[in-house]
Amino acid sequence: MSAPQRALLIAARELFAERAHPDGLAAALTFTGMLVLLESLAFGPGRAREPDVASGVFWIAILFAAMLMTQRSFDRELEDDAIDAVIALPGGRDALFAGKAFALGLLMVIVGVAGGALSIFLLDLEIALPGHLAFVVLLGLVALAPVIVVNNVVALRVRARVAVVPILSFPMLVPQLIAASQGSAAALAGDAAVALSWGALLAAFAFVYAVLGLTIVPAAIE
Amino acid sequence: MLRNVSLELPPGLTLLRGPNGSGKTTLLRAMAGLVPLARGRRHTPSSLLYVGHRPMLLRGLSPRANLAFFASFRGRTIDTNEVLRRWGLQDVAGLPVERLSAGQRKRASLARIDLETENVVLLDEPFADLDSDGVVLLRAALMSALARDQSVLLATHFHEELDRDAKQRFVLGDGELRAI
Repeated sequence: MSAPQRALLIAARELFAERAHPDGLAAALTFTGMLVLLESLAFGPGRAREPDVASGVFWIAILFAAMLMTQRSFDRELEDDAIDAVIALPGGRDALFAGKAFALGLLMVIVGVAGGALSIFLLDLEIALPGHLAFVVLLGLVALAPVIVVNNVVALRVRARVAVVPILSFPMLVPQLIAASQGSAAALAGDAAVALSWGALLAAFAFVYAVLGLTIVPAAIE
Repeated sequence: MLRNVSLELPPGLTLLRGPNGSGKTTLLRAMAGLVPLARGRRHTPSSLLYVGHRPMLLRGLSPRANLAFFASFRGRTIDTNEVLRRWGLQDVAGLPVERLSAGQRKRASLARIDLETENVVLLDEPFADLDSDGVVLLRAALMSALARDQSVLLATHFHEELDRDAKQRFVLGDGELRAI
């Protein structure tokens, strides 16, 4: 079995487990929905509709939601030492990062679509460039997953992992957060060139961290 | 802490004994690549199965799905229902593992021995949580593994009757390994 096939197996295992107990997804969806709702109350209807504010709050919600979901995923792996069985498999160490990041990326797309739809509905958002927005959101989601998975693996056996992972991840995710927020705001406001340039930056971050994850995780997980 | 431990596993059964806290689990986890070595080297075969104290099954998935995952990962297609039936788990094969009793979870974990692909099998207290029927099933699985010329390292306090089947016997104490 090839490495991509093994990674897909890990991803499928993850998605089936999440389907059986969707507590991570439910927490992420609830958190995102609540933050979008609170945004409209905190900023007021006029201010909340501004592209900078709407996209900034959306990406903060997505970031925390991704953190919640990934931590739940690794909690599940640590119960009954399920992750040890994967690590001890030939090729398991290498497939773990790619499988987890891929599954998390797919789940984040669900959260992103739901959060985006809720934002559009609750805030009555006007989207000047829907295609560009979808492109930036997709790249933003893809760019978040590798960093969060890497940091969860690095802090896997740390007792205060719930606190350590955000502390490690947030500084690393600042560039992605800025790029995703600015790119989304540009797509909402109708600035295609700016949206695409931020999108390209997100793609570069996604690529760099995916390569780093594939390189670091097999060694770090020991 | 383990010191100056050198262990080679030939095909057949190797028994590892030692008091609580002597480092049996640490040694097995180190051999499985789950514990980093401060010094020394580990020559891990291309295929190794480690079954620890805990079930090592992913919650939310059934014993059938867990077993199918392990088989697929090794590129094997097996009749998971047949394997689970052999272990007396046919009635709970589709239930999430967290709904199984401790003994059933242990059986589901040990059923991985029947995937028949590993050169080396490391079992840490495999008899714990098993009832008398489970012990019989595990002994049968061990005998099958030995018949397939697999190297089996078994850490256990009990079951002296396994001594006669063992090619090697070791005791771990004070961080050192002694052959007996």
